[in-house]
Amino acid sequence: MLIELTKRKEPSRQMLYLTPVIAVVLTMITGGIIFTLLGYNGAGAVWEIFIKPVINPEKWQDLGVKAAPLILIGVGLSIGFRANVWNIGAEGQYVVGGLAGTGVALLTWEMEGWWILPLMCVGGFIGGAAYAAIPAFLRTKLKVNEILSSLMLTYVSVQLLYYLMRGPWKDPEGFNFPQTRLFNDSQILPTLTEDTIIHMGVPLAFLIALVAWFVMSKTVFGFQVRVVGAAPHAARYGGFDENRTIWLALLMGGGLAGLAGTFEAAGPFGQMVPQFPTGYGFTAIIVAFLGRLHPLGIIGGGLILAISYVGGEGAQTSIGLPNAATGIFQAMMLFFLLATDILINYRLKIGEASAEAAQ
Amino acid sequence: MTNEPVNRLELRGVTKAFPGVIANDTVSFAVKPGEIHALLGENGAGKSTLVKMIYGIMQPDSGEILLNDQVQYIPNPKAARGMGVGMVFQHFSLFEAMTVLENIALGLDDNISHAELERRIADVLHEYGLSLDPHRIVSTLSVGERQRIEIVRALLLNPRLLIMDEPTSVLTPQEVGQLFETLRALSKSGCSILYISHKLHEIQELCEAATILRGGKVVGECDPKKESSRSMAEMMIGASLKSVEKDGGRKFGDAKFVVTSLTLPGEGDFGVPLNDISFTVRAGEIFGIAGVAGNGQNELLLALSGEVTSDTGDAVMLDGEPIGAHGTTPRRFVGLCAVPEERNGHGAVPDFTLCDNAILTARNRKNMVNYGVINSSIAMGYTEDVIEKFSVKTTGPTSTAGSLSGGNLQKYIMGREIMQTPEVLVVSQPTWGVDAGAAAAIHQALVDLAEGGSAIVVISQDLDELLAICDHMAVINEGRLSKTHNVGEVSIDEIGLLMGGVHGDPFATAEMTEAVHAH
Amino acid sequence: MNDAIIISIVMTVVGAATPILLAALGELIVEKSGVLNLGVEGMMLIGAVTGFAVTSVTGVPMIGVFCAMIAATCAALLFGYLTLTLSSNQVATGLALTIFGIGLSSLAGEGYVGKTIDIYASVFPAGLAEHSFFRVIFGYSPIVYFSFFMTFMVAWFLKRTRAGLILRAVGESAGSAHSIGYSVVGVRYAAVAFGGAMAGVGGCYYSMVLTPMWAEELTAGRGWIALALVVFAAWRPGRLLLGAYLFGAVMTFELHAKAAGFSLVAPEFLAAMPYIATIVVLALISLRKSAGAKAPACLAQPFKAST
Repeated sequence: MLIELTKRKEPSRQMLYLTPVIAVVLTMITGGIIFTLLGYNGAGAVWEIFIKPVINPEKWQDLGVKAAPLILIGVGLSIGFRANVWNIGAEGQYVVGGLAGTGVALLTWEMEGWWILPLMCVGGFIGGAAYAAIPAFLRTKLKVNEILSSLMLTYVSVQLLYYLMRGPWKDPEGFNFPQTRLFNDSQILPTLTEDTIIHMGVPLAFLIALVAWFVMSKTVFGFQVRVVGAAPHAARYGGFDENRTIWLALLMGGGLAGLAGTFEAAGPFGQMVPQFPTGYGFTAIIVAFLGRLHPLGIIGGGLILAISYVGGEGAQTSIGLPNAATGIFQAMMLFFLLATDILINYRLKIGEASAEAAQ
Repeated sequence: MTNEPVNRLELRGVTKAFPGVIANDTVSFAVKPGEIHALLGENGAGKSTLVKMIYGIMQPDSGEILLNDQVQYIPNPKAARGMGVGMVFQHFSLFEAMTVLENIALGLDDNISHAELERRIADVLHEYGLSLDPHRIVSTLSVGERQRIEIVRALLLNPRLLIMDEPTSVLTPQEVGQLFETLRALSKSGCSILYISHKLHEIQELCEAATILRGGKVVGECDPKKESSRSMAEMMIGASLKSVEKDGGRKFGDAKFVVTSLTLPGEGDFGVPLNDISFTVRAGEIFGIAGVAGNGQNELLLALSGEVTSDTGDAVMLDGEPIGAHGTTPRRFVGLCAVPEERNGHGAVPDFTLCDNAILTARNRKNMVNYGVINSSIAMGYTEDVIEKFSVKTTGPTSTAGSLSGGNLQKYIMGREIMQTPEVLVVSQPTWGVDAGAAAAIHQALVDLAEGGSAIVVISQDLDELLAICDHMAVINEGRLSKTHNVGEVSIDEIGLLMGGVHGDPFATAEMTEAVHAH
Repeated sequence: MNDAIIISIVMTVVGAATPILLAALGELIVEKSGVLNLGVEGMMLIGAVTGFAVTSVTGVPMIGVFCAMIAATCAALLFGYLTLTLSSNQVATGLALTIFGIGLSSLAGEGYVGKTIDIYASVFPAGLAEHSFFRVIFGYSPIVYFSFFMTFMVAWFLKRTRAGLILRAVGESAGSAHSIGYSVVGVRYAAVAFGGAMAGVGGCYYSMVLTPMWAEELTAGRGWIALALVVFAAWRPGRLLLGAYLFGAVMTFELHAKAAGFSLVAPEFLAAMPYIATIVVLALISLRKSAGAKAPACLAQPFKAST
């Protein structure tokens, strides 16, 4: 018996939406088997990581809080990926955006007013965008591959964070701990109600995803991004400038990552600390792919990855699953998604091998 | 020769199907030793699939292939070469960044030293009177020289059957003559040649027998020397030929599209610089630009369409307005539309729907955009109009451009531009790889557009096409444009010499012709 | 500066250069075949943890290195299956491989964090390396000499052998290679596997020789620097050697600057140096316009034969 692939005449739209689901299901099955073979409670791991956070209402607020930065960064990255711009340094842009927001907060720490938070958000967006401008400049002016430059800048951003925490931005009343002072009430994102941990950044992230969906699917800007990514020569023929699109894609990606950074700093953290980079920028790559580079899909992708984070933390305490297991499950989702993507363009036929298939 | 087989090659009921299409349907024919046998058919008739099976790139679903009267299973090209089958591809299988020697070594199955290989190459070149420098990098060679690499690569294996897939589509008329001499010499030595083409006069000149394919089936066999071009063409197309209806006594209006001293550096490593190009097209006129591939046609199209802009606006003028410094969008606003040579990825985005491909170039002239937001119902309506008026075979405006056949996609792209009623239309290779029916429709649409008062520039390597539809023409060679000739007053030989780079005296001497070949 | 300092500088530069040289040699072959594998970092980590774990269990470094190669090759073949057989996007798949490698290595290395192994292996008689100057020549792990040997072998393979010619042809024009009759996918699988094996050796050099201990994400982005190095070297093995030692020098600058009492600059800046240097170097080489410094024409383009 052999698996035979035959090319479809048209890409299958059903498969386009179905393969992310197939990938998640395959991850649960395969992951369960692998962790059982490794001597862990495999079925328990799948239950804890994928199911429990969904059926336990106490965890839903956690999901929202974790999903918000993933969705924001994922939406930004998807714009770039659509334009064939491989910004994989969102983690760095997230850090620098967080630092920029923090910078505004530190400058205004003795002030009060409704304008401080918006100013921090603007600062965060600009900070992330400015950091993404470096790979944009290098790519458009010097043809330097943005994959390598944006990733290298992530490592640099972490050192910048350490420097600021140990040096200039250290809390003068903080017993020499390498962290900033706590943000004041005008600098902390308010929660939706008094007894929730869901801060204003969460609904904003969902709202921004909706706006991005409209822009990407209905406007000339979205069309431009898609054409440049799909066929750069056709884009030039259609009157779209490739370098301009690369700039816009990177600035949007960096800006949204920076905004996510400020939301995190002004939300769950409430200050800036050396432990600020938690890998959201990398996980958002998986979110963007799982969401099919479509802003609405990314909301779903962000929630699924948030589930795996929340579930992974729970599994550490409840069944002693190591922290690294979450990362493996997340990588497996991406692997299975990429593997099953072939079903979009090819039809799978399982049966007796024909003479041709034996070649 | 003793013990010569009856047939060098014989096909018995060969069938090959792809999803949705039967490329070859019980094809049978035979080629005798030393025979030059034409395989004639339109684009999409199944010629390429058939030869790919003979050369082992694909295998038939059913039927038999016999070589030298023996039934053979040919699993891959290496096996084919082992059985004495050589092939020269239409789209060369060459490696641009490597030397001629390395390219030839890759085509051989034995590992022989470079010194030995060089000696053997010199022998073959000498035997057939060809010239080629083994140490040049392929990307620096002319198209004719590249084809010579393919031929030498095939000849080094002493083939008994040589397959040539559309070998003359990229050559000047003089280069074609030289190629035919090589092929005749080869045939005298007993090597059979399977010659694939849709150019009837070449087949009449060269071949002793012909098999005609249509829609994957053999529809006739003939001796091309005894048939008329017209009868073979009608067998090939399966209908009577429809010639382009062009009003003989047409009047041209004022100068509409004026290009003056257009000079641009070449893009990238392999780009051809444009040098002092000037021509004028009047309203209602079709202006042809002939030339061998790679002489600046692509660069010229980009410079005319606005994809590459010039520093001086005066270099390109439309109705007296300087547009040389404008990009494509402002040029479209003043009425200049263009169709590039490459359909997939340049003229259209294969992964996009036909509707999205309409938005690509027609969004401004057809008012599909309000304040940056796309009005998809207008785009859909326009797409449907194009599909209907140009009889594009497709399931609808939402099918992807990549799912259309080459001819249908070309009809769609031409329709998309023509229905914007441009003042000036610049097209490159309007019927390249398109079947005769579609080609006739496209030619007619161009002529009709010109009659409506538009100025049209057609860049093409197909001389027959230019002679059929153009009023005036010029030849591009190494980025320079010859002076304008009146179609009807210029001979094919004259154009051929211009294509080879001989300017000035149209009655060039034999020495100059030699110089062209040595070049 | 006395001899001892110079010797220690030379030896740390060699130590920093060797793993990225090995990984970059593997990636060079992969890219020459037209495949871009961004999973170098992940494969190095898998090699690092495997080499360390196997060596600490068996006590035999040779087996450790061998298993590191095998494990990283398996990871590379997973990448190969997705990109070559299933034609997935090479950039995304490479990223997935790195994320996977980070997760897998920290899971597998959980029990080894903070442990050390003590191995001493030399290709030369111990006496030779005792004198300080001879140590500069003879005092390294066998893997260092292996990296030199492989640089030579890769250069020879690409330039002089028929298999090397075919590999370059596949990377230059997969379509042409296929129509002449070469197995594009087969050649690429072999290249990808070789890239995995070399990344595995490079990775285990970190955990077994350089540190020698295991910690999560031990390679700290060196796999990415190896990728940049291939671009820097313009796909030439000779220049790869030069580049690796240049990077090795930059990477160890932090160490030596501290030792030399160079405290004007913040230590965080020194730690960021290798990454900044990588970006600067990538920018500089793009300014240089020399023929032949071109990427293989088919790099990162999927190939699917139509049959």
